[in-house]
Amino acid sequence: MIYLDNSATTKPFGEAADAVDRALREDFFNPAAAYSPAVQLHTRIEKGRAQMLRTLKADTGKLVFTSGGTEANNLAVFGALSAMRGRDRHVVTTTVEHASVAGVFHTLEENGYEVTWLPVDAHGALRPDTLKNALRADTCLVSFMHVNNEVGAINDILALSELTKKHCPRALVHCDGVQAYGRLTPNLSVCPIDLYAVSAHKFHGPKGAGALYVREGVRVAPLFMGGGQEGGLRSGTSNAPATLGMLEAARICYRTQRELVGRLSGCKRALVEGLAGIGDMFVNGPPPEEGAPHILNVSFLGVRGETLLHSLEQHGIYVSTGSACSAHSHMESRVLAALGIDGERLLGAVRISFGAYNTPAEMPEVADRIRTEVAHLRRYRRM
Amino acid sequence: MERTILVRYGEIHLKGLNRPFFERALMNNLRDALRPFVGARVERRDGRVYVEGVAPEDEKAAVDRLCRVFGVHSVSRVVGVDKGLDSIAAAALDLIREAAKEAPATFKVRARRSDKRFPLNSMELAAEIGGRALKALPYLKVDVHRPQIMLDIEVRERAYLYTDAKKAVGGMPVGTGGRAMLLLSGGIDSPVAGYMIARRGVAVDCVHFESVPYTSGQARQKVIDLATIMAGYCGPMRLHIVSFTEIQQKLYEDGPPPLLTILMRRFMMRIAERLAKKRRCGALITGENLGQVASQTMDSLNATNAVVSIPVFRPLIGFDKAGIMDRARQIGTYETSILPYDDCCSVFVPRHPATRPRPGEPEKAEAKMDVDAMVEAALSGVETLDIRPAENEW
Repeated sequence: MIYLDNSATTKPFGEAADAVDRALREDFFNPAAAYSPAVQLHTRIEKGRAQMLRTLKADTGKLVFTSGGTEANNLAVFGALSAMRGRDRHVVTTTVEHASVAGVFHTLEENGYEVTWLPVDAHGALRPDTLKNALRADTCLVSFMHVNNEVGAINDILALSELTKKHCPRALVHCDGVQAYGRLTPNLSVCPIDLYAVSAHKFHGPKGAGALYVREGVRVAPLFMGGGQEGGLRSGTSNAPATLGMLEAARICYRTQRELVGRLSGCKRALVEGLAGIGDMFVNGPPPEEGAPHILNVSFLGVRGETLLHSLEQHGIYVSTGSACSAHSHMESRVLAALGIDGERLLGAVRISFGAYNTPAEMPEVADRIRTEVAHLRRYRRM
Repeated sequence: MERTILVRYGEIHLKGLNRPFFERALMNNLRDALRPFVGARVERRDGRVYVEGVAPEDEKAAVDRLCRVFGVHSVSRVVGVDKGLDSIAAAALDLIREAAKEAPATFKVRARRSDKRFPLNSMELAAEIGGRALKALPYLKVDVHRPQIMLDIEVRERAYLYTDAKKAVGGMPVGTGGRAMLLLSGGIDSPVAGYMIARRGVAVDCVHFESVPYTSGQARQKVIDLATIMAGYCGPMRLHIVSFTEIQQKLYEDGPPPLLTILMRRFMMRIAERLAKKRRCGALITGENLGQVASQTMDSLNATNAVVSIPVFRPLIGFDKAGIMDRARQIGTYETSILPYDDCCSVFVPRHPATRPRPGEPEKAEAKMDVDAMVEAALSGVETLDIRPAENEW
């Protein structure tokens, strides 16, 4: 099996899986309890929290553990807006956000907020001048993703956050870092980002764990009421197994980030080289060397992405489509459409995303398989 | 006082000397259906089937389950008491009170006795209990023609009373009518067709054609889900999955485009017939419906029918689409059938499919192909899955 759908989820590091297993079988205590094994568990989690905060280069501020990226994004935007005292109702985001952000802004729109949906450039990135033109005196929150999950476009989060703070000092900046953390971990001591969301299973941790960084002094109201865990920001018995798994994965990514990024970009480069020469092939999003090291989105004209996905699946290679499509329903990619991609190129998009378990050495095999399958499927162009 | 469930079977009574055979099949199917109800026993007494040992809180679910077993006509929850007049009257009042819910209602008491030593005859017993009920529950009125509450009393080795008779699916016990092979596509029609034939007592095997990579694992799971819903009525069954891609690609390369769908259907019928013979099925079942699509015109049906020698049952042939959809909703397959995954029939759909293939036309197109080898190749890759009703899974 060659698993190339790491933007959907990653295989956990062995150490992370062990940490979850140990916590489930042995350290099953409620970390809020008063006897010593529970206190020790609590201490381990708190130490890990401080270490993970350090991976973001954040000396102050806090990290709130959540059930994952979706909850972190929801908590960030809903929580921050509901804690705001002012009357400002203008918020800004882009048209290519992940559903867990886009959905939040749609709900805000229904609830009386004025949302400016910013277009992105042909590579999928938000340009600072586009953002600049949208900022107003009553803008209270700006949200953009760090790395786009479908095409791998990287936003210049330093420029975008500085620009926001320069023109709207009181506006908060939220960044969905789910696809970036562990590979392009930001330096939040430099970037004036107030809220940064991550998800453990995208960086080789377990499902069901995520975190939201909250800058010191930024007020966030909780979404869940209950026992007041996580400093009152996330009630619910803390999910110690998933959290410890996430912390272990974060630790490994932090220690090996340079090596990991080298491996991911090596895979991407090797695959792009291997695919060279296939006719009517298009890279969607940024040119391979400019995009995130782990995401490559390509279209082969005349071959539906879904069909190519299933034919690669037959050979144990797992990728994803940019747009799922069937004869009955067309669920085309909102992101690719926002990049101005349409027709056969839209239907043909496949997303190939690399992870820590891939090696550049296996890419020629993948490229050869894609070449063979594309040639085969092109013989039967569908009527 | 004890509670039991009474199962009545309809049509089996018509079957003279074969009756024990039908009854045995029904008993087996009932036992299978009640497997999730631990402790339930199925017994036959006096030409009736009784289910005992169901926990009171599970009774309603057990009745619903029994109502889905083919061959069952109706099901009642029954109270059994000793044959004293006072115990019968007390149980009768309880049942009527429960049915009337303290609101004015009309009722009728109907009595029967197989124990002729019982001191009152049927008419007298009905009158006695009716009288006592009227006296005790002043909101009641008698209506012997169209009562809202019908209380039945049967005096046998004990006295049995019941008010509700829930109508069941009817038909004949599965397994008494042989076996047939259903071509199950994943659409709305074929599960309904399979249901209708199974209801006539026929055990059903399903064959599904998939076209990986053009169809996905989701499409396959959808067909498994449909078969699982059907198994809730038909009992455990087999689902044969045939990989159809190579045949479709071959037809695409060598067949005239307008005939693609008909040629494809002919191959499906051939493969289904081969599987049917292997599994000792006496017929094929399809969800075809006259005129619904190009491959279901009379000429097209003739062209697909021509390649098989066993009967092809098409129970939906004269239905309209809305009628089929209603039935699919009743059976519970509709919501699954409309999930939007491509099936093999939507792959390589010709722009202008022939609706009236001329006789000899498909044969001419197939003359260029090694039909037998193509069928053999497809048969060699068949995957067979055992499908059990969902509630029997845990």
